[in-house]
Amino acid sequence: MNDMSNLQTPAAPSLAMRREPFTFTGTAREYFGIWIVNVLLTILTLGIYSAWAKVRRQRYFYGNTHLAGATFDYHALPWRILVGRVIVLLMLVLYNLTLQFLPLFGLLVFAIFMFAIPWFIMRGLRFNARVTSYRNVRFDFTGTYWGAFLAYIVGGLLIYGSVGLLAPIASRWIWNYMLGNLRYGGRPITCDPRLDKLYGQIWLPAFVLIGGGLVGFGIVMAILMSVGLPDVNSANPSGWSIAMMMITIYAAMIPLFLVFMLAGLIYRAGVRNVVFNETVIDGRHVLASSIGRGRFASISITNLLATIVTLGLARPWAAVRMAAYMATVTALDTTGSLDAYASDLQNAGTATGSEFLDVEGFDLGF
Amino acid sequence: MASEQPVVAGLWRKAGEARAVDALLAIGADGAASVTGSDGAVLAWGAFQGTKVSDRVGSIPRQVTYPDGGVFETGDNDGVDRLVASHSSGSAGFIHKLERFRPRLALFVLATIVLGSAVYRYAMPLLVEVAISVTPPVVTTLMSKSALASLDQAIFEPSKLSAERQKSLSDGFAELVAQTDETPSERTAYALTFRTGGPIGPNAFALPDGTVVLTDELVELAGKDDEMILGVLGHEIGHVDHKHSLRQLYRAAGVTALIMLIGGDIGSGTEDIMVQGAALFSLSYSRDAETDADRFSVALMHKAGKDPAAIARFFELLRDKLGDRAEGNFLSTHPATPERIAETRRYASEVGGSN
Repeated sequence: MNDMSNLQTPAAPSLAMRREPFTFTGTAREYFGIWIVNVLLTILTLGIYSAWAKVRRQRYFYGNTHLAGATFDYHALPWRILVGRVIVLLMLVLYNLTLQFLPLFGLLVFAIFMFAIPWFIMRGLRFNARVTSYRNVRFDFTGTYWGAFLAYIVGGLLIYGSVGLLAPIASRWIWNYMLGNLRYGGRPITCDPRLDKLYGQIWLPAFVLIGGGLVGFGIVMAILMSVGLPDVNSANPSGWSIAMMMITIYAAMIPLFLVFMLAGLIYRAGVRNVVFNETVIDGRHVLASSIGRGRFASISITNLLATIVTLGLARPWAAVRMAAYMATVTALDTTGSLDAYASDLQNAGTATGSEFLDVEGFDLGF
Repeated sequence: MASEQPVVAGLWRKAGEARAVDALLAIGADGAASVTGSDGAVLAWGAFQGTKVSDRVGSIPRQVTYPDGGVFETGDNDGVDRLVASHSSGSAGFIHKLERFRPRLALFVLATIVLGSAVYRYAMPLLVEVAISVTPPVVTTLMSKSALASLDQAIFEPSKLSAERQKSLSDGFAELVAQTDETPSERTAYALTFRTGGPIGPNAFALPDGTVVLTDELVELAGKDDEMILGVLGHEIGHVDHKHSLRQLYRAAGVTALIMLIGGDIGSGTEDIMVQGAALFSLSYSRDAETDADRFSVALMHKAGKDPAAIARFFELLRDKLGDRAEGNFLSTHPATPERIAETRRYASEVGGSN
């Protein structure tokens, strides 16, 4: 009896759920300088500075992301990113050259590549987790090669093979792999989004894709009919008219491309909401995501348009705008105060990213 | 006291621990950096030179990390900069000074545009030349053999030309090769081979190792005019001699790699658009290569004592005979524009006139 009351009294206040919002404090003005120097030095050094550029960019965005009075930190060493990039670039060159030189072995090379990709993804996720810290405590990633193979290769085939109908299954695998294998200070993170909820996110993008696709196709046809393709096969074709034809086709495809992009954005935003809301840290803190799907899509598309129209100069503004929006729609529902929780946290020890061959920078747009 | 000895307020965390306590960082006259808690207790003490101060990026918090892994963190960037300036000789913060929002950033924008185009125009071609010079011949041989093998499997049929016709064309081809500036050993790499083109129709193309493929359909189209065919072969020898295919391959790889490397800074949407744009741009590059090969044919034919305008005659023949149904044949990759014919003719008379 006595023991029980002793247990309950201190436990009661710590069980109160508390919402800690994410905030982003970076500004376009400040990031513009970092960005232009990054681009300038990357070009000047023929790409070598890109590793240093990445560290400065990541540190800026992590360091401006606040949660419960503390910021995130990015600790990657530029030269290791450089080594990773050189390895990945060499792999891509080797892959393309082999395809070019040995087209007969193309299928074999492709298969080897397919089996190599999960390894790179797994290493990349681990690298990124291990160089990230919050309150001086590092993240870690414990995903395996076959986990990545299932999520990205089998999942990718599933999406293409089913024309997107099985995409929620692949999304479940991918997010479960990415978030469910994360560790923070040695504490587990679980991510087990329910399939029916993920399927709930497929209707709107499917509707956009089918409806918008039909409208887009009509517009493409109308444009091609009215403008007409510059005739390459007539008596005087030239390099210029071929280029004009390509440009016309590209331009006419823009409505279709936008529809496809819109559907993808809506789906991704919906999935992130579902997934985050079922991501639990150490059995007691729950992520919360409340992206407005339309708002997210409109920010993405206007960002891209502004970047194109300004020949890239609006990119810093666009990046900061997106980061700020993503922070406002993300929160952490904590059980008890995060400060009290954090006071027990310690680095797990091994997860300091000291392994030599941690390759980063293998971003695949599945 | 505080004005003599700069003090920065922040948080102290022990190595690997999340728990933070309010603390002050100060550097004594002896160069020792000490972190003291709000109760005055010394939390960490050590030579400032031995600590690692994180680079300043925008206005994100700075960390001073002690050798044992303990971290002092503060949002007072200027305070940290003052400590660094007075107690260490390094030029820390140089990049940050460049990045500050000042009017000169406009200059950086300009420099980026100018340097970007300079890299594209001058540095990239230079790198391509270096890559070509270090590519061993075995690579191009392998590439060509494999390409021809897959074409043979997929679309080609053996040639139905008579042995005599093949021999006379091969002799003419050898005569042209003998007139190039290549070394005798390089000349042996050139070989003319015959195929029935099938879907690709009247066509001729060069593989980078010096193999030139000629289709029966092109020979038929030219009728009895072997000189015209030699003009086309001269054009293909030009592609091999100037290593056009390898050059285009490396160029595309270089441009794509550069776009990928700034990809993180420009966003993936813009990156995709730039990659597509670069592919469009490479069309103009391949047009330059065609003009280059045309001129090579003219000069080579002249050197061999044949009609330098043979290639122009061939283009005229293509234009007249095939006209609009020129899909998928020599025309689509070698457009016979009036300008091109005129330019080739003009160059031919220039070369012929100097004789």
